[in-house]
Amino acid sequence: MVRTSLLAAGFLAALATFPALAQAPAPAPVPGWAVGRPEGSTLAPHAPRLTVTPPDQVPVGALRLPPGFQAEIYAHGIPGARMMAEGPNGTIFAGSRAIGRVYAVRRNADGTTRTSIVAQGLAQPNGLVMVGNSLFVIAVNRVLRYDNIEANLDNIPAPVELTAAFGLPTEQEHAGNHHWKFASLGPDGRIYTNVGVNCNVCETDRDKFALLVSFNPDGSDRRIEARGVRNSVGMAHHPVTRELWATNNGRDWAGNDWPNDTLHRIRRSGEDHGFPYCSAGSADPQFNAGRACSEFVQPAALLGPHTAALGMRFYTGTMFPEQYRNQIFIARRGSWNRERLSGFDVAVAHLDAQGNVTRVEEFMTGLRDDANQRFLGRPVDVQVARDGALLVADEQMGAIYRITYRQ
Amino acid sequence: MLLRLLAAALLAAAVPEMARAADAARGADLAAHRCVNCHGDNGRSQVPGVPSLAGQPADFITVQMILLREGIRHAPAMNPFAQGLPDRDIEDLAAFFASLPPGPPDDRTPKDEALFAAGQALTGPRHCATCHVADYGGRAQIPRVAAQREDYLVQAMIGYRDGTRAGVDTQMNSAVIGLSNAHIAALAHFLAHLD
Ligand code: HEC
Ligand code: HEC
Repeated sequence: MVRTSLLAAGFLAALATFPALAQAPAPAPVPGWAVGRPEGSTLAPHAPRLTVTPPDQVPVGALRLPPGFQAEIYAHGIPGARMMAEGPNGTIFAGSRAIGRVYAVRRNADGTTRTSIVAQGLAQPNGLVMVGNSLFVIAVNRVLRYDNIEANLDNIPAPVELTAAFGLPTEQEHAGNHHWKFASLGPDGRIYTNVGVNCNVCETDRDKFALLVSFNPDGSDRRIEARGVRNSVGMAHHPVTRELWATNNGRDWAGNDWPNDTLHRIRRSGEDHGFPYCSAGSADPQFNAGRACSEFVQPAALLGPHTAALGMRFYTGTMFPEQYRNQIFIARRGSWNRERLSGFDVAVAHLDAQGNVTRVEEFMTGLRDDANQRFLGRPVDVQVARDGALLVADEQMGAIYRITYRQ
Repeated sequence: MLLRLLAAALLAAAVPEMARAADAARGADLAAHRCVNCHGDNGRSQVPGVPSLAGQPADFITVQMILLREGIRHAPAMNPFAQGLPDRDIEDLAAFFASLPPGPPDDRTPKDEALFAAGQALTGPRHCATCHVADYGGRAQIPRVAAQREDYLVQAMIGYRDGTRAGVDTQMNSAVIGLSNAHIAALAHFLAHLD
């Protein structure tokens, strides 16, 4: 009661300080994510699922694959599981966003798996990478290293704190936009990650945001690998050419079909890929600033509008047919910023001998229900296991599928 | 072929419905001992700073309970009551509170037309009703904010704005970015007086 009347007094005081408020409220800036949003749009974010999905509800039976491929459930009961990394002894680690956990999936002697929690209570621990026997976890403005992790899964020791050494921008600097990370180990032993843009689309500090960056594993020697990449949540180095490739999420609120999400090939460190001036190779309707898109590196492939192309890996195994060798598997989670759903699948980008993308085709479908405009799951990452199977993390179902090939 | 048929059958069966329907009666039992002394017997809180839960979408309650349990959402008064709760209890509690008819607290402040109008005017450019639905009754993970306690609405929006409250995603943090305390007070007054 006391508190209520104090609050009421606060309102009055506030009104006195802002006499205009009672008439016409002072215009407040538009939220970053809503820049460019058209009047009348009714789109709203999809609901996540953060509770355990019983295995009989995981929609593995709905998955469709090319002939000869089968899918099974590899792990379940790991709500929000996202980006994966494999330890030298075969443990699969999976990060998350909202639920703040890092999971470990171990294989039992009989081929089944068991899961456990490596870390919890972290702010969006989405970036995972193994460097030797150490698991690096990159959360929002937080970098942790778990040494000798696979030997300590039943009694996780305190991690080494590397946050200050990496010095990533804070959540506040990102203004709450695109601050979660993807992480990958380069053939040069450096850790590669993304720094997403601090808005949907805006003029920004192009040395600080919308970047791919790399570091020594101790956090030293930050290097800009690519500029003008809006938000990449997937990257990998080509196993032969050693070039860095990355997926990118295009801006929102410029229509259902523009821009496409994109795949990027980074031939030289520091190249400019054009955001916010250009997206998917063409001029931004609001932020082009008179720049010619030919000034910038063109995307290597278009991945569909609002598909939310996230985790990607080159197929380096031998289980799948020859035609998949060194081709790129890409998880497309699907976004909420389009009137009709797109993505919610896994695609393959086929490359020719010169490393040019010749075509992008669907590989794992069945989770998007076009007739009813709903989805059964959301693939967020792919991982090529040491036996050549392809693992696919489904964040919505808290499960990992295992895709194998038999003649 | 078999696989295809099987896949088609499963797709037709449609997945997202939960196999085990959440049990509101069990939720009511759990709530009686642990929740209603703060959140109100009928789910309408009479305590400043404690939100009403009556008529909240079950998904919203579930998701917030998980965030509170995991310590992702910091709320010292509430975290202990979520700690260690199994998913099943959370889903049943959510079904119970979702089933109660929503309504304002008994001590709702009188409506100030000017403040109400000022708050309403702020909602358009920020698309509040797009997500929270035209009657502000919420949907799925997006909460009902109509007739919520005004004091609680103020503290919730300040939490998002100042980065002390994290949600499943960051849309709410951005939705209130740049709002002054006076803007937030007006918004809260507007929402609290919707019926
Ligand atoms: C001691 C008082 C108290 C008890 C007991 C209590 N809560 Fe809460 N609860 C709070 C407060 C205070 C908040 C607001 C936290 C904040 O400041 O964000 C809250 C917030 C919540 C929220 C978030 C709602 C929203 O609108 O964001 C949910 C859901 C919730 N409580 C459910 C429960 C359930 C279920 C129980 C019983 C298992 C319970 N609470 C027991 C005090 C309590
Ligand atoms: C893009 C969708 C979206 C928009 C736009 C939006 N909200 Fe929300 N709002 C949400 C979601 C989702 C949540 C729950 C977030 C979480 O997980 O904490 C929420 C939570 C809230 C809460 C906390 C309620 C509680 O019980 O804890 C308040 C208050 C609120 N919104 C008010 C507003 C107002 C006022 C506006 C406009 C200025 C607005 N929202 C715009 C999606 C939205």
